[in-house]
Amino acid sequence: MPVKWVLYWQPNQGSTVSSQILNEATQCVESINGVKEGRWKATLIYYKPMLRDQANQAEFPRDFLGISLADQPSKYYFIIRSQRIVLESDSSIQLIMEKLQSYKSKVALYFEGFQYQLGDFRLRVGKVVPTHSENVRGIVMEGMELFAFGADSYSHLVVILDAIYDVEYLPISSMEKSRKVMEEFLEIWHEALFKRSLPGKFVNTELNFGEFGLGDSYTPQHTAVRYALVMAHMIATVQAVRG
Amino acid sequence: MECVVQGIIETQHVEALEILLQGLCGVPRERLRVHELCLKSGPNLGVVSSEVRLLCDLDQPEPTWSVKHVGGAMRGAGADQISVMVRTMIESKVSKNALRMFYALGYKLDHELLKVGFSFHFQRTAHMSVSVSSVNKMPKIHAIDEAVPVTPGMQIVDVTAPATPENYSEVAAAVSSFCEFLAPLVHLSKPFISTGVVPTAAAAAASLMSDGGGTATL
Repeated sequence: MPVKWVLYWQPNQGSTVSSQILNEATQCVESINGVKEGRWKATLIYYKPMLRDQANQAEFPRDFLGISLADQPSKYYFIIRSQRIVLESDSSIQLIMEKLQSYKSKVALYFEGFQYQLGDFRLRVGKVVPTHSENVRGIVMEGMELFAFGADSYSHLVVILDAIYDVEYLPISSMEKSRKVMEEFLEIWHEALFKRSLPGKFVNTELNFGEFGLGDSYTPQHTAVRYALVMAHMIATVQAVRG
Repeated sequence: MECVVQGIIETQHVEALEILLQGLCGVPRERLRVHELCLKSGPNLGVVSSEVRLLCDLDQPEPTWSVKHVGGAMRGAGADQISVMVRTMIESKVSKNALRMFYALGYKLDHELLKVGFSFHFQRTAHMSVSVSSVNKMPKIHAIDEAVPVTPGMQIVDVTAPATPENYSEVAAAVSSFCEFLAPLVHLSKPFISTGVVPTAAAAAASLMSDGGGTATL
């Protein structure tokens, strides 16, 4: 499958993120002739163990998460980042997890927004929101206040870039071989954004897929790992901004 | 959910059962070689202790894995009146690192088995699967090449059919009526209620073997 990159918005020191930035980013895609294709959504759930004795919490993974991707509705992905595990399964595994009553959802997040086609690429621009964000102003996770949502503020923005067609006969399922065209496209995107003088930038995540047992040939499991890593970066960014 | 019945048959009559099934099902048999790992939640994990099975289908060019959860059987007067067990069952295909993930989540290996035999998958009112297999245990962890039969000379017959809360009684009826065709060779009943081998099996098998199957009048 074609390579995807997942970028996250890194606000400048001291600046906050607002829906204005999402609007600007969206307008920016349209200004470079992006054709709106419709909405997209992905769901990410952090799980926590259901323990009879809370004293032994340390024995269980604190970073166990599940992801459903818009492109793969029949699949579900589990990730334990600290142990470099990514598992692909049928989406029915969520029912099995419910039946087992050993882990339950701690926080559920939606990645949602619009997708655009730009020549050989597809660009998805969106925000990350808790599933019931309307009434929730803060969700405590790992002992830190991670999300503080008002009616008009989004802590997190993401951009997902897909190469959707073969570009100049390059095999775009190879991560290494597609890197150059992806970078070239991002340069155009960054230039367009730069003109708007936004207080931050979209950052790509570099990671070693080999550690997860994944090769150079791109699969949906790579995407799931990218989402997990982007989430970790966004959490770290929020924590850093708040000091 | 699924409807399920189970029975046992002496290995010497398995060939006759295969001929009979071939005639009844009208589909080619498939080889069955499945490594089954039963995992249980660690002592502190979960509201109640839980159990999940990982199945590795070894009869594929590249072994494929699935996770299976078998829930409790349906109970009550309605369930007592039907001769098959109706229970919840969910099976999901997974990538090959499922065992590693469940270990990481705090599940422990309880026991493992190797099932070797054959199966038939066919449509007969409901979609049904019949499997005939010898169940083997491993002397050492994961040593499938050294597996030895748990019950030498005896094999297990399983008939299963997926069902829904809306259609389970029809599916159960279809499974029951199919079981009647197998009755001369194997008696099928709700799992864990063993009814032993069928006394007429030897005679029925001899008749089938001489007849060549398919047209046997049992």
